[in-house]
Amino acid sequence: MSYADRIPAAGVSLPIGALAAGLAAWWALVALLGIPAYLLPTPVAVARRLADRPNLYLRNGTITLRTILAGGAAGVLGGFGAAAVAVHSTVLRRALSPYLVTARVLPKIAVAPLLLVWLGTGAGTALAFVALVAFFPTFVNAAAGLDETPDEYLDLLRSVEAGPVRTFLFVRIPAALPSVFAGLKQSAALAVVGTVVAEWILTDAGLGYLVLLGAENVQTDVVLAAVAVLFAEGMAIYGAVVAVENRVSW
Amino acid sequence: MVGDETGARATEESDRERPEDCEHSERPGHSERPGHSERPGRSGRPEHGETAIRLDGVTVDFEAVRALADVDLRVGEGEFVTVIGPSGCGKTTMLRAVGGLQAPSEGTVRVGGDPPDRARADGEFGFVFQRHALLPWKSALENVVFLRKMAGKPADREQARDLLETVGLAGFEEARPAELSGGMRQRVAIARALHLGASVLLMDEPFGELDELTREEMGVEVRRVWRDQRKTVLFVTHSVPEAVFLADRCVVMSDDPGEIEAVFDVELPRPRDESVYGTAAFQEQVAAVRTALHEGYELR
Repeated sequence: MSYADRIPAAGVSLPIGALAAGLAAWWALVALLGIPAYLLPTPVAVARRLADRPNLYLRNGTITLRTILAGGAAGVLGGFGAAAVAVHSTVLRRALSPYLVTARVLPKIAVAPLLLVWLGTGAGTALAFVALVAFFPTFVNAAAGLDETPDEYLDLLRSVEAGPVRTFLFVRIPAALPSVFAGLKQSAALAVVGTVVAEWILTDAGLGYLVLLGAENVQTDVVLAAVAVLFAEGMAIYGAVVAVENRVSW
Repeated sequence: MVGDETGARATEESDRERPEDCEHSERPGHSERPGHSERPGRSGRPEHGETAIRLDGVTVDFEAVRALADVDLRVGEGEFVTVIGPSGCGKTTMLRAVGGLQAPSEGTVRVGGDPPDRARADGEFGFVFQRHALLPWKSALENVVFLRKMAGKPADREQARDLLETVGLAGFEEARPAELSGGMRQRVAIARALHLGASVLLMDEPFGELDELTREEMGVEVRRVWRDQRKTVLFVTHSVPEAVFLADRCVVMSDDPGEIEAVFDVELPRPRDESVYGTAAFQEQVAAVRTALHEGYELR
């Protein structure tokens, strides 16, 4: 039994403790080194920013959350759907597989300016961009998972003449769930990043825009306040995906 | 120790009549065993009037490799037939051909008079594979029920529970495969095959990954279940004692290409329990099968 096991509610208390320690270190650093507030404000100054203008952060936070969720959902559903189609076509799978692997390293964020040219600025373009960014991890992982159903399961289903639809719904999909969720978690993280980038270059609203605005005016406390809200949203979304995984996957 | 096996080299006539017993009843010390002349009436032996499985000249080629060459075999209804041979002798291919998972290049397979695909569509087969193929996300009971549902038949949880009890798994209905031992997983797989209501069980080295003691215990169990459930069983193995213990008849195959080397009628007490493993008759039979195996085997 390790020392960590003797701490009450270690799964919650330890991460919260780490967060508190990080904030304390930040505060101490600013105080001890006398860092000017325009370079690095104290955690208290950031919190005060949030408290002073709650509606500003709430409004922009809502816009950002909406883009993450709508764009992310579209990308993830598209990715899973495309994977479901791809595993049923040997030709398609073989033709695409080398590119699918490299799509992981392709800087998809680099296409944002191109979308700007094609679709113009605005919320619609931002959604399309987030969907695109979230699409790939789910697609690649789901396609791999759906394709790697153990042969013995497939033989078993063939032995009772279960058709391809049953096999897909009741064996291929459940067997692929761990892979699918690995993809979903990457997609969730990327949807947050993609939303921030979209707000930098495609729209003029949301937490990402607030970050940009704060930096232009050298208001680091505004930047950090927006980042804090963003962090909370990202954690909540990731946590939700993990919660669903624990319930659904095996 | 067994030198004169020629009587067992009966590949060619195996379809017309069963080859005479390989065991040598004239040998001293074996007179208490029933001679082959009494074959039809032996106690505990199921009557196999009808032919359940019939292979005629079945050949399977995989590109340049001939996996199975001109195999003839009859399996009677309710008969327990084991198939043994070296790795790569085509025994699994033969099983898959019977189950319609592998189409023969030449020859015909009939199960209950029908082609395997038809028999499979009618739900005649219950497969048990070497890899148990239990779905890890389902409980033991759900695994048993699941395959029947996939076969398009109404699931019967009560019967599924009874079958788990039959294979000695009462109380483990809710356990996930990961929580079960290798032997228990194969028991679930057997219950699952039985729950299909299939008349023919095709078992492909189901105990191949189990330790020897568990294997022997499972052998006793399978014989008991088979007697209760009155199934026709084709059972592939590479363990000689297992092939002998389980069998009414034991088919010995040789490799390259895969063909039937010999067919043995196994003369052991019925029903069989673990005490059989220690008998001289069992050892004798094992030795005979082993000799036939070696005769068909070339070290490469």
